[in-house]
Amino acid sequence: MDPQSIQPDELMRFLDGEVSPEERNRIEAALAGSTELQREFALFRSMKDDLLNIQFEPELRRAAIWDRVNRHLTRPIGWILLLIGGVVWVAYAAYLFFTSPADLIEKLATGAMVIGILLLLASVIWEQYRSWLTDPYRDLQR
Amino acid sequence: MRPEVERELVRKCKAGDARFFEPLVRAYEQPGLRVALGMMGNAEDARDALQEAFVKTFRALGRFDLGRSFGPWFFQILRNQCRDLLRSRQARFKVETLDEGLELRSSGDQEGTDRLTSRHEAQALLWRGLEKIGEEHREIIVLKELQGFRYSEIASILEIPEGTVASRLYHARRALKDALLELGIEYP
Repeated sequence: MDPQSIQPDELMRFLDGEVSPEERNRIEAALAGSTELQREFALFRSMKDDLLNIQFEPELRRAAIWDRVNRHLTRPIGWILLLIGGVVWVAYAAYLFFTSPADLIEKLATGAMVIGILLLLASVIWEQYRSWLTDPYRDLQR
Repeated sequence: MRPEVERELVRKCKAGDARFFEPLVRAYEQPGLRVALGMMGNAEDARDALQEAFVKTFRALGRFDLGRSFGPWFFQILRNQCRDLLRSRQARFKVETLDEGLELRSSGDQEGTDRLTSRHEAQALLWRGLEKIGEEHREIIVLKELQGFRYSEIASILEIPEGTVASRLYHARRALKDALLELGIEYP
């Protein structure tokens, strides 16, 4: 058997147990007849063993991955529903506001209070969001 | 997880119910983390890549063909995610694994232990060897040696013909051998 007839990819498939019985016999015969091929195979065999021997088990905080994934999957739905509800309520409130028989001064005072509250709320949320963005410890489990 | 159970879970997830995604995440998080860690080199980036891969997998389930196997499809997404993350962060494979609670499996292989004097040293040197070889070489070694996929699965994950897997592995192993030689580990 001419060892030159064994291609590198055949040697790899033999090493990884991905050959048919006929191929295995052919490669084993070639190996038996060539010290050069034996040396090359031993090299790959040793390296594979070392890689297998250092296989590791990553320590996983088991809840963490699913929690993080679940947050990403469910939060957008929550935000969309909240937004739709908010828009409907604002539209309904505006309709009541403009169609109510109250005096103009009452409407203006109420409108100013509502806009003021919304502006303050938006400002606080924006501030919190900005500080969260720059918080270096935001991913730590509390 | 049995294939029929997995297929049923995927079918329910395709209908949009995220509750049925949890068992799939539980089943694939450990091997997924192992692959991501092998590709990214450190646990924090690996967890980020894994989480994003799961999210993308769920969102892409609508396009998933139930006739296919879920595992290779998920690992394909994970592999692409790792590559994207490495590029988007302008990062490179960084070995920061030794203090990340990674546990070496006892080998019982005296010859291997003799050659690489201690388990920690062995891990450090092999990781450094993986760091030195290119991304393409590293990913195929990770899929084969760290996760133990068969050639057909690797072909599916890397989207290459099955016949190409063996030759890629040959070049990757030679590159790793050369990298280890530079680090002072000579194989027979």
